[in-house]
Amino acid sequence: MNLKRQYILPNCTLTLEGLSTDFGGTNATLSVLTNAQCQFINSKKIIYGGRAFVENLVRAVSAYAQECLSGVRPPGETNASEDQIHLESLGSRGHRLTWHPSPDANESESPVILDLTTVELFDLVEAVDQLVNDQRTLPDITPVLQPVSRRYRQVEEPVAKKAVPLALGFGSLALSALAFYFLPFAEIRKPEIKPPVVTPSQTTPVPQNLP
Amino acid sequence: MTSTEIMSDSAKIDSISPILEILPDFPISGQRCSLRIQQHLDLMLLAIEALEIGAAEAMVKTAKELGLGGIIKNRLVFWRLRCTNPWRLSYNRGILTLNEAKALVILTSYRAKTLTVPIRQLLIAEQQMRDKGLPVDTNFLLVDYLERFRSHFISRMNPRRAKVSVYLASEDALNELALRLLNQILFCTGTTGLQRFWISLFDGEVL
Repeated sequence: MNLKRQYILPNCTLTLEGLSTDFGGTNATLSVLTNAQCQFINSKKIIYGGRAFVENLVRAVSAYAQECLSGVRPPGETNASEDQIHLESLGSRGHRLTWHPSPDANESESPVILDLTTVELFDLVEAVDQLVNDQRTLPDITPVLQPVSRRYRQVEEPVAKKAVPLALGFGSLALSALAFYFLPFAEIRKPEIKPPVVTPSQTTPVPQNLP
Repeated sequence: MTSTEIMSDSAKIDSISPILEILPDFPISGQRCSLRIQQHLDLMLLAIEALEIGAAEAMVKTAKELGLGGIIKNRLVFWRLRCTNPWRLSYNRGILTLNEAKALVILTSYRAKTLTVPIRQLLIAEQQMRDKGLPVDTNFLLVDYLERFRSHFISRMNPRRAKVSVYLASEDALNELALRLLNQILFCTGTTGLQRFWISLFDGEVL
């Protein structure tokens, strides 16, 4: 039985089409995916693919939403393989989604780049979360929620910023050393040894009455 | 009531709050939260307070409705939990237990869900101002939120803390902090927002 499931959010619509192996009417489980597409309302752009696309979308979007909350970037796949989806921050200008379509897709440009606002990104995250939590659609796709390891924590201050106080310290030491270099050496003078002056003192004999 | 009494009381009642079990535990040292987590939780709550007038009262009420009344009994206990933020003027050097942190996360997420519409409106306004190259604090929607956030931050945070002093020195820096927190709050409102917010707190903390 052919099934179509849609997750409609204000800025984004995620549509999945597939087959069901059971006969549960409208409540049947969509277990075999034939086509999936995600349409962004404002940009009118559509990204699409098969099961690998959905799996990559769930993984990338969930990890990036977590990154938005914590600021810790998880280790990601850097190779641009088929149907790979990559999300990165553009600072205050929003977020960039990069999709590497498979060669089967009739896409003129590769990779496809979409710049999303935070609200658009949130709608994409919400559509993906609703899909993952929907037990009637691809129940074998499970959420990938786990904290990023301590190894990937970025230092709060970059090394260049940390090096500034060190450089200032060495700089001031060098300057003071230079200033002291031009100061004249103190002359070493031996202490003059004066012969002790013996002043004669008068003593008056004390008369003693001897017996 | 001393802080040790509050801690021991909450520890007794923690076990009977079933809502806490929807959030997983993580192997962290001593089952206590780091200062960074405590600071972040308080700042998120501060941003919610800036979004909603009378939010502190509403949060205590929500806590009771969610069965978290054992941990957050009243406004005083709630305030003491928030004073574990090291940036605060009234920092009490307390350390949140995992269940106390879970309670604050659940509270943040539930209050944020009720504020989804204004949060979205504010973020759309922020994007429009940035697209036009205009300062964000000239937008009539954003200015209320930013002013309230700045006022809460200035009155409650310790200016002798280095990072706080950086924010206090520049209005723009404080506005950026307020907007960054607003962006994060949006992600707490979704279907999996609560779990994701909780897990994100331990990013870079676990082995």
